[in-house]
Amino acid sequence: MALWIQILPGLDKPIYAQIVAQISENVAKGELLPGDKLPAVRKLAAELVINPNTVARAYNVLEQAGLVTTKTGSGTFISDPKLRTTDAADINMLTERMDTIITRGINLGLKSGDLVAMFKERLGKFANKQKSGKKKK
Amino acid sequence: MTETVLETYGLTKYYGGTLALDNMDLKIPRGCICGFVGRNAAGKTTAIKLMLGLLKPTAGSAKLLGCDSQNLTPAIRQRIGYVTEGHHLFHWMSIASLEKFQRAFFPKQWDDRFFSEMIEYFELPKNKKIKHLSHGQRAQVSLALALAPNPELLVMDDPTLGLDTAIRRQFLEGMIQLIMQQGRTVFFSSHILGDVERVSDRIVVIDKGVIRADCSLEQFREAVKKVKLSFSDCPPAQLDIEGLLHCRRSEKELELILIGTDDEKIKQWADSAAAIKYSIVKMNLEDQFIEFTAPPNHKKLFQWEKN
Amino acid sequence: MRFLALLKKELRECLPWLLIAAIAFLVLGGLALRLMIQSGAPFRYPYHFSPGSTVNRYLLRASPLLSTTGVWLFFISIVLGLALGIRQFFIPHFSRTWGFTIHRSINKLTILCAKLFVAAIAFIISLGTVWLLIYWYASLPEILPFLPEPRLFIEGWILIAMGFTVYLGTALAGLSKARWYTTKVFPLAFVLVIIATTVSQWKLSTAFAVMIIGSLILLSQIIHTFLNREF
Repeated sequence: MALWIQILPGLDKPIYAQIVAQISENVAKGELLPGDKLPAVRKLAAELVINPNTVARAYNVLEQAGLVTTKTGSGTFISDPKLRTTDAADINMLTERMDTIITRGINLGLKSGDLVAMFKERLGKFANKQKSGKKKK
Repeated sequence: MTETVLETYGLTKYYGGTLALDNMDLKIPRGCICGFVGRNAAGKTTAIKLMLGLLKPTAGSAKLLGCDSQNLTPAIRQRIGYVTEGHHLFHWMSIASLEKFQRAFFPKQWDDRFFSEMIEYFELPKNKKIKHLSHGQRAQVSLALALAPNPELLVMDDPTLGLDTAIRRQFLEGMIQLIMQQGRTVFFSSHILGDVERVSDRIVVIDKGVIRADCSLEQFREAVKKVKLSFSDCPPAQLDIEGLLHCRRSEKELELILIGTDDEKIKQWADSAAAIKYSIVKMNLEDQFIEFTAPPNHKKLFQWEKN
Repeated sequence: MRFLALLKKELRECLPWLLIAAIAFLVLGGLALRLMIQSGAPFRYPYHFSPGSTVNRYLLRASPLLSTTGVWLFFISIVLGLALGIRQFFIPHFSRTWGFTIHRSINKLTILCAKLFVAAIAFIISLGTVWLLIYWYASLPEILPFLPEPRLFIEGWILIAMGFTVYLGTALAGLSKARWYTTKVFPLAFVLVIIATTVSQWKLSTAFAVMIIGSLILLSQIIHTFLNREF
């Protein structure tokens, strides 16, 4: 499993948030599976040329969101999806993102029916990846 | 209790009648990477030189590693790496001679392999004289000379000034490598906010000799907000919103720069001021810095009028 | 080890000037001596230095060496003093390397001592040895038969010492942070006074005394300025 993370300074999204977003996306797409180990903080920091504290912060945020668990001495691992919880802030963020997508779609001239169809298709792709990921394991 | 490796108390410097540094109070703990940002001639070099005892304060004091800056002992200087502004080195020396020279002052600390690896990585021939190097190459040598003795505290004055992107990245890599070792602290001035955002966990903003901010990078990022509001009529004259730094008015719009104001409070104020709509504008670190240090009534230099 | 590194660095920086001065004096001073001998020039006088009964013998016999070779020594010594002073104390300012030099695990005073020590050695090695050489050659019986004359030899060293005084004055001027048209040039003016006073002395011992006092004043000022200066 190769975890390729890219960060860009100078965006309005802080660096730690970019890491959180990319890891979250990887988990959602099934490219990171429960039990997978995230790179060590120092290793990732050296690779991305950023402060190790930023990586640590990103891992903290992921842990608080329930996406990962840290075992002292061993490292940080993707958590079991059954143990994850969602809270109001997460839902908020989700709705925000949805609004962005819907806005774009409407401006491109798509109708709600088209948008729903697109959504279903993408969901399907994610589900497939997750299934095949599980099969690999 | 984390030890303070760099501290200043009311550090002030006048050049004749000009105030270069006004009452600077700073406490940098061990293990911190602190980015010292400010515009040109904001007082960064003055502050750094005062900290290193190269300048004398008009008032106040500074301490490095617990030792007064005006009386830094050789033993303390041994633990401090310093990259000077402009990376000026003895131009007649070759890299190898400079290495020998510098190494003589760090008999036990000098990391031969590290220095050679760094110079090799930068593809610099050791027998080349400093006067035949470009500014960027000189900066690389300067950094290698400062890092090889493995200093506890690294103070750098605008280390990436004049360097191209690739070399800047290498500089940052070197800094990250250093900071990963226990107990190392870096204090560097820069006006390249992308670099500061990458490696710093703390930011100190200086403007016209005055420290305007001294906090974690996170806090700064979260605190500086820009809010745009539009009104059906004239915006209110009284702006009693907490944390207001600047405001810009136009006919029916208001742009506010707020420091440390809750999103909730912004919403409340917008409602109470009867704004038609408002939005919290997303800013990157550079935007935040510019807004934070902008003069109160700053006008735009270039304003294109419609003909 | 640290001091040695500083010495090596200072010496390497002064080396070109050291060599130029030595070679120039050897060539020009030597030529002057040869020319004087060949032309059989009548002895000239009076030379300021000496009073009393030794005067005539000295003036009549020895002064030509000083009035020809000695003039070259005087001139080159002063130029060497200026060159070393500029190299050690003006150039670091223009090349902005003071910061790099001062921030070291060594006492500030030691850094200054390295510079002064190297300059002193430079004068002794370059001009001193050549003077010794020329004097020894002139003292050969077939060259100038009335030599050796100790006083003459000493005066040569006074000329060399004057050059060192010029070096001290230049050093102090370099360290001064004032503008060139105000107090920055005072040390050089002071040096001119010293030289004029020395040269006009009748007694050798007074000449020495003036030099030493003047140099000590300059030296104390240099140390004080260096230790208290901003870089």
